[in-house]
Amino acid sequence: MVEKASTEQEFPIDRRRHVQSMLMRESLLDKQVMTSTETPVVPMLPFCHVIKIGGRSILDNGKKAVYPLVEVLGRLLENFKLVIGTGGGVRSRHVTSIGMDLGLPTGVLAQLCIIDALGNAHMLGTLLAPFGVVAIPPEILGHMLPFFIKSAPGVICNGDPPFSIWEQPPRLGRIPPHRTDAGTFLLAECYGCATHTLVKDVNGLYESDPKLNPDAKFIGEITVSDLRRRNLPTLPFDRVLLDLLANARQVESFQIINGLRPELLERALRGEHVGTIVRKD
Amino acid sequence: MDNQPLDRLTSALVSGSVTDEEEMARLDRQPVIQILPDANVIKIGGQSFIDRGREAVFPLIDEIVENLPKHKMIIGTGAGTRARHSYSVGLDLGMPTGVLSVLGFFVSIQNAKMIHYLLARHGIPSIEPAQFAQLPLYLAERQACVCVGMPPYAYWQPNPEIGRIPPHRTDAGCYLISETLGCRSMIFVKDEEGLYTADPKKDPNAKFIPKITVDELMELDLVDVVLERTVFQLMKNAKNRRSVQVINGLKRGNLTRALNGEPVGTLISA
Repeated sequence: MVEKASTEQEFPIDRRRHVQSMLMRESLLDKQVMTSTETPVVPMLPFCHVIKIGGRSILDNGKKAVYPLVEVLGRLLENFKLVIGTGGGVRSRHVTSIGMDLGLPTGVLAQLCIIDALGNAHMLGTLLAPFGVVAIPPEILGHMLPFFIKSAPGVICNGDPPFSIWEQPPRLGRIPPHRTDAGTFLLAECYGCATHTLVKDVNGLYESDPKLNPDAKFIGEITVSDLRRRNLPTLPFDRVLLDLLANARQVESFQIINGLRPELLERALRGEHVGTIVRKD
Repeated sequence: MDNQPLDRLTSALVSGSVTDEEEMARLDRQPVIQILPDANVIKIGGQSFIDRGREAVFPLIDEIVENLPKHKMIIGTGAGTRARHSYSVGLDLGMPTGVLSVLGFFVSIQNAKMIHYLLARHGIPSIEPAQFAQLPLYLAERQACVCVGMPPYAYWQPNPEIGRIPPHRTDAGCYLISETLGCRSMIFVKDEEGLYTADPKKDPNAKFIPKITVDELMELDLVDVVLERTVFQLMKNAKNRRSVQVINGLKRGNLTRALNGEPVGTLISA
């Protein structure tokens, strides 16, 4: 590694005990120092695909939505390595409303929501058990992911990031901003996965909610800055995903597809445009 | 029992879109409770404090012990020079931000363990994130508890805008504990009086700032600031903890005065 040349003389007596390194004595709060840390990243699992299965949009709809998707997933697992994250769905919404009424803060709501998504992960894990795919406890998922992926065709996890009481309060209200779309994206970005796909019950992004407005215009492809400019009142994914994508180094787009047409999933994993693709600028 | 506001909230959440922030905020009517309103969160700096060894740390430990009868303290630790070493090696090897976050967490654990052993004879425990449910008991029984300052974001740490160093480190981690738990104060113990217009270790002309708002601070757009920048954004969105104090822990008595609510360093408020 690159070590900084000795510059002892330039500084006044420093009673902090340092270890020689590039960042020695540097403030990690200094913008110039930060710029120097922009170096290439090693992708850990570039052959993996991360899929987020919607809670309310897919799993809560039971057999009619889930069984056909499970059939497709089972087939895909023969050729693709999959990391499947689940949403919390209606139960997360319910516990959030009770928690809000009780005055609980964002961090506590985040901790509560993780539990619903975990329940959904176990349900999906039961259905995919014949393929050797099970729900992995969140405490060991991050560290063990490469091992599981080498040993099994895929894993299932709750989609939420493990922020829990460290979740960040949002600008407005108190609903945890990093939910399961964001959590699965962050996992895909850290591991440098091939694709990030959000499986929902709509064809993708519309100018307004297509369930309320049947004439809503479909947006097939859009960049982060265009989408920010449009400032749409509702989005079919966690709003914070736009910020995360803007800062992505490895996963530079994600696609929203309609899980009620499960045949689209394989095409999405092959990089085809079958829903809405949101791209980093 | 009728609870119409709750019914409306539940049905809006169950059927509505939580990405509609305005609508969700309108339905959010109850004030956020303070879970531990008597507890103070104290963050002990890594590079700025613990890396100085006994000369800096022992007097601070004595001061913490002196304050045990009067104040409840959640003591989080920074990471410091070994984290910088890990980050340097990690960056050179191409580690992503999430892995650097795990490495920073490890160093913060070492510092928490050291502070814990120095306080152990006073019956003060140390906890990791999974044990936070025991925190209220420890505070009730022993008045203080040591914890890891780094938030447990691990592989899920969001990337920074510039570079690859995890943007949410131990300042943000400790701050979020104070915000979520609705604590009485957030005190950052460092080796400088507080915030300056530049790094006082490198620029002798740096001017001290005793009091500032987050907006003023953002306006100044300083090259170097005393706290992680993410803390300022978090403060702007905070429901409970809208101010923090940065103090010089090398001066005996500063921590006590800060715990008593006196301004002894830089007060930053949102």
